[in-house]
Amino acid sequence: MRVDFVKAVESVLARDADSLFVTGDLGFNALEGLVAKYGKRFINAGVAEQGMIGLAAGIALTGLRPWVYSIAPFATYRCLEQIRNDVCLHQLPVRIVGNGGGYTYGIMGSTHHALEDLAVLKVLPNMQLFFPCANDQVAAAVALIAELDGPSYLRLSVSAYNTDRAPLSEHPVTLTRSYATRADRSKPGVTVIGAGHGVQVALRALTAHGLDRENADVFGVARFPFRLAEDSALLASVLETKNVVFVEEHYAAGGMGESMKLALPQFTAFSLMSASYRPDQRYGSAAFHMQQTELTPEALMTLVQAQLRST
Amino acid sequence: MSEGLEPVALARAALAIRRQFLRMHYEARSGHVGSGLSAIDVLTYLYSVWLRPTDQFILSKGHGASSLYATLHHFGKLSDAELATYYKDDTLLPAHPAPRGVAAIPAATGSLGHGLPIAAGMAYSHKYLRSTDVRVACLLSDGECNEGSTWEATLFAAHHRLSNLTVIVDANGIQGFGRTEDVLALEPFAKKWEAFGFEVSECNGHDFAALHAALSEPSAGRPRCVIARTVKGKGVSFMENTVDWHYWPINEAQYGQAISELDRTESELSP
Repeated sequence: MRVDFVKAVESVLARDADSLFVTGDLGFNALEGLVAKYGKRFINAGVAEQGMIGLAAGIALTGLRPWVYSIAPFATYRCLEQIRNDVCLHQLPVRIVGNGGGYTYGIMGSTHHALEDLAVLKVLPNMQLFFPCANDQVAAAVALIAELDGPSYLRLSVSAYNTDRAPLSEHPVTLTRSYATRADRSKPGVTVIGAGHGVQVALRALTAHGLDRENADVFGVARFPFRLAEDSALLASVLETKNVVFVEEHYAAGGMGESMKLALPQFTAFSLMSASYRPDQRYGSAAFHMQQTELTPEALMTLVQAQLRST
Repeated sequence: MSEGLEPVALARAALAIRRQFLRMHYEARSGHVGSGLSAIDVLTYLYSVWLRPTDQFILSKGHGASSLYATLHHFGKLSDAELATYYKDDTLLPAHPAPRGVAAIPAATGSLGHGLPIAAGMAYSHKYLRSTDVRVACLLSDGECNEGSTWEATLFAAHHRLSNLTVIVDANGIQGFGRTEDVLALEPFAKKWEAFGFEVSECNGHDFAALHAALSEPSAGRPRCVIARTVKGKGVSFMENTVDWHYWPINEAQYGQAISELDRTESELSP
């Protein structure tokens, strides 16, 4: 998603002279073009995330709109108080961008994983979260963020199950995507919802594990707070199937699944597939971590089939 | 004495602000009295002499908010009605500055180490992006120079040669639980700021001529730091130089004694 992000943000910088780019010394081999082109509108704040968010807030207080970039764990945790006090409490248009949500940085180790980023940010006042489902959704998210008057966080990720599958539809405001619809609405069905690139688990299940034969609606959500009143297809699906399986590459506590469970009006079954902390953690690729924490298409199929059996 | 500066008038203004400040704390039974008193002379100088209408001021030592409120009130930037709400329910003037509360206070502070990064961002924007001649002043406590984020911002300010940024440290030598040199020593303090790339001067933070001299030196293209050596609780003998008055509210007898001390100081000023 990083390539798509750089391209999209460059178009924002080109058309909005009040926008600028701030990095926490990351972006090697990705941001060099911005450095050359934007001069003083490109700031490398150094390896200093607290100072970076504070100065971005100071810049925003002068009426400008900074995009602040680091990898997801660094852009969120150490500088959480600066995000809360300096950005959110002042309702400033600081666009925080974290690359490598979830297990994207697998073999880099647990310090580089971001499995609580949405949890810690979703509770902050005025904060809006964007977590694209796939590379081809990044530009739409960037375009929406560019219009915001207040704080936001964009979570960029690479899924271990990267599956190139075009959505059937995408809502222009909620960004919710439909990836598959039930073949027979008169029979028991299931609503599968993925948060951001977590939906790629379901897409792999569709293409390689027969989820398309299980009478499933598959949605990807990409924005929080949810705007379910505008997501009529998703709401209708849950009201009809009453079966929900939710997938996220994030811990369950504070994750999007927990919030979705509270937000949905009526269902009979709600199964949540999330990442889990392991005291005996070992390290590998993002795919290794997804296997280890059982965020797999196979596990998704098991949950879907169990729900259908008990319907 | 610096040309054009009227130290007696400044001293009278500072006394009026101290009176207002003490009345606020006495009536509200609120703490942080010592930290406010140490900053009032610096604030008086900034608001009567240094700050131009478009300049920006960030109070990084947010626990000194009441001294800023009293100062803003003295210079007509807060109304009587607004000031009367201090520390009460439904106020925009809590013990630490609120976000978006008062036009004259651009940033909420209170968690230490936040003000200087914000001020540095403002200074960068005004110097390089908006190309204005706005200057940004930021008042730190010495205690908050324990915070790493303060030093992150000094690196940034020096690297970008933010000559429009002026830092004043209210160096009263006392922090939350003891003397600064006993808690986490800062000395040689001026050398630290110099080594970080600032133009540094030290002065008596209660001497207006000295503050004026330190804060009006011509810029050599770098950010400036003035270490204002101050006395915590300045102006009220029994509050001076004690940790206690970081916390205690003022009782009636203490209030009476404090005001009579200010009266005596005022009577000793040359006419």
